[in-house]
Amino acid sequence: MTRGALLSAAVLVALVVGSPAVHAEHECEVPPEMMQVSAKLPHLAARLRAHEPVNIVAIGGASTTGTAAGSPDLAYPHRLQVALTKLFPDVPITVVNKGVPRQSTRQMVGRFATDVIPEDPILVIWETGISDAVRGIEVDDFTSALQAGIDEVKNRSIDIVLVDMQFSRSTATVIDFERYLTAVHGVADLDGVYVFPRYEIMRYWSEQNMFNFDEVAADERARLAARVYDCIGRKLAQAIKLAVQ
Amino acid sequence: MPASPTSRDLRLDFFRGLALIFIFIDHIPENILSYFTLEAFGFFDAAEVFIFISGFTAALVYGRRLVEKGVIYATAQVLRRAWQLYVAHVFLFVIFIAEVSYTVTTFNNPMYNEEMRVADFLDEPHVAVIQALLLQFQPTFLDILPLYILMLVIFPVVLIGMQRHPLLVLLPSAALYIVVQIFGIVVPAYPEGHVWYFNPLAWQFLFVSAALLGHARIRGQTRLPFARVLYPAAAVIFAAAFLIKLSWTIHGVWDAFPGLLLKQLWPINKNNLSPLRLVPFYALVVLVALRVPREAQFLQSTAARPFVLCGQQSLEIFCLGIILSVLAHFILTEYGGGVWMQLAANAAGITVMFLTAAMLAWYKMVDRMPPLRTVAAPGRPSDGIAK
Repeated sequence: MTRGALLSAAVLVALVVGSPAVHAEHECEVPPEMMQVSAKLPHLAARLRAHEPVNIVAIGGASTTGTAAGSPDLAYPHRLQVALTKLFPDVPITVVNKGVPRQSTRQMVGRFATDVIPEDPILVIWETGISDAVRGIEVDDFTSALQAGIDEVKNRSIDIVLVDMQFSRSTATVIDFERYLTAVHGVADLDGVYVFPRYEIMRYWSEQNMFNFDEVAADERARLAARVYDCIGRKLAQAIKLAVQ
Repeated sequence: MPASPTSRDLRLDFFRGLALIFIFIDHIPENILSYFTLEAFGFFDAAEVFIFISGFTAALVYGRRLVEKGVIYATAQVLRRAWQLYVAHVFLFVIFIAEVSYTVTTFNNPMYNEEMRVADFLDEPHVAVIQALLLQFQPTFLDILPLYILMLVIFPVVLIGMQRHPLLVLLPSAALYIVVQIFGIVVPAYPEGHVWYFNPLAWQFLFVSAALLGHARIRGQTRLPFARVLYPAAAVIFAAAFLIKLSWTIHGVWDAFPGLLLKQLWPINKNNLSPLRLVPFYALVVLVALRVPREAQFLQSTAARPFVLCGQQSLEIFCLGIILSVLAHFILTEYGGGVWMQLAANAAGITVMFLTAAMLAWYKMVDRMPPLRTVAAPGRPSDGIAK
């Protein structure tokens, strides 16, 4: 073996073992077409340009609460706050977590007035659709609830980003998400709202075997969930950066 | 065979067979082939075709029996068919239960634990199973057979009514449809908060109006009246709906392409069979009725044969298609769903449907054969959906 090969092998080992940050960054990769953002977030962009404090509310279900990872600091909203702070170091950014498990879209809209608006956010991140699909709520009802929520936020000059469903290999065959995914992306398309394609991204990661809960011991599962939430937070931060440029 | 009002109309078999293939394709989520089914360029999809042809053939088959053998005989035949559909529904339900309980008990993804409530009914099987037997529990993909069963259960009344006067059936059916459109009435289902996905109060209109057309056929009216006006009107309506929906489909894939009238028309309600689905669908029916003659050569061709066979064994092939689409989805999620895998899964599923249809047709032929000693040509196959 030549010295060069030894050296590169050593570098490789160092990269894989030594630096968890590099490791994680690499794992969060997705194909470029999943990170295309055409919608804009004008109000947030103005805040960032003015270097004024930014308040973001993340409203959603169990995957916003993030109980699966074991601690609120490991849930995606907090990971998003960390990632955004890295991207915009000179602006104070807070992401408030307003997740409540197992609520339908309609029920979440009912919480906007008490949980979202009083926080005075400049951006609302709305993660929704799972409970509706699981409960089989009428697609039209789901669509009109989404529309009502988007209108309520937009009318107050607050920006909004939607986050679609989680993907999981084992649930994909028993829950029919397609109708609801079509509805989320349809409404967003009409309103010019950005949807973070969590379902597509998580499916890609699943296909790449980045996370596979089937082969993981029970006590490792929370760590795996935390890693996925962390990646979601980072990717969402990147998407938001693209939407304010 | 010369086309007489009594000879089998292969168009019904062919288009129903095609609809069953489309239903299989559309039931595999994010299937690339679904860009080439009715769903991609019509405001409606294969469900309308299936219900329409079912209503039409029901009137043909049971209408004749009513005339030949009387009310009680025809009613008994209709109810036997409803019973067969019911058994098929329960069979599909058992497969569904097996799939869900397996998935749930082997489930270990904590990110989904709190939201994975699809199996709540397993906590109360005594209620869930009874609700399924009452057609009130309609999990995904188990929603069209309950509609069909209900339609057949009320069909004897429709049949007798039509015999008296078509308007006796048409007026109440249309009135109910319009009331549902205006007031958005839904039919509740189990578990709480669910509704019948195919709202029977709305979809009955498609079934009943198709039955009225079938009834007109056995009354000897084989030509469409007002064809001169209807044809151009249908062509314009269908073409407009076609272009609009096609623009939406392209817009969905390629954002820069504008979706025509998207803001005004989307979403089009399927639960309650929005008139935006019904009218373009009937436009297509008119176009097919006028442009595809009964004796069209292609219906006899080898290429059309597998579709015709599927259409003739519609209940079995429908159930098989549902099971195969769930299986295909499972394989695609489990082992990667690239384009080639998708195409392979579609091809495999369609092949199994074709082969099964051919096998069932063979069974039926053998069953009908006279005892060996009296060798004769097999009798005329019975019409439509009845055995």
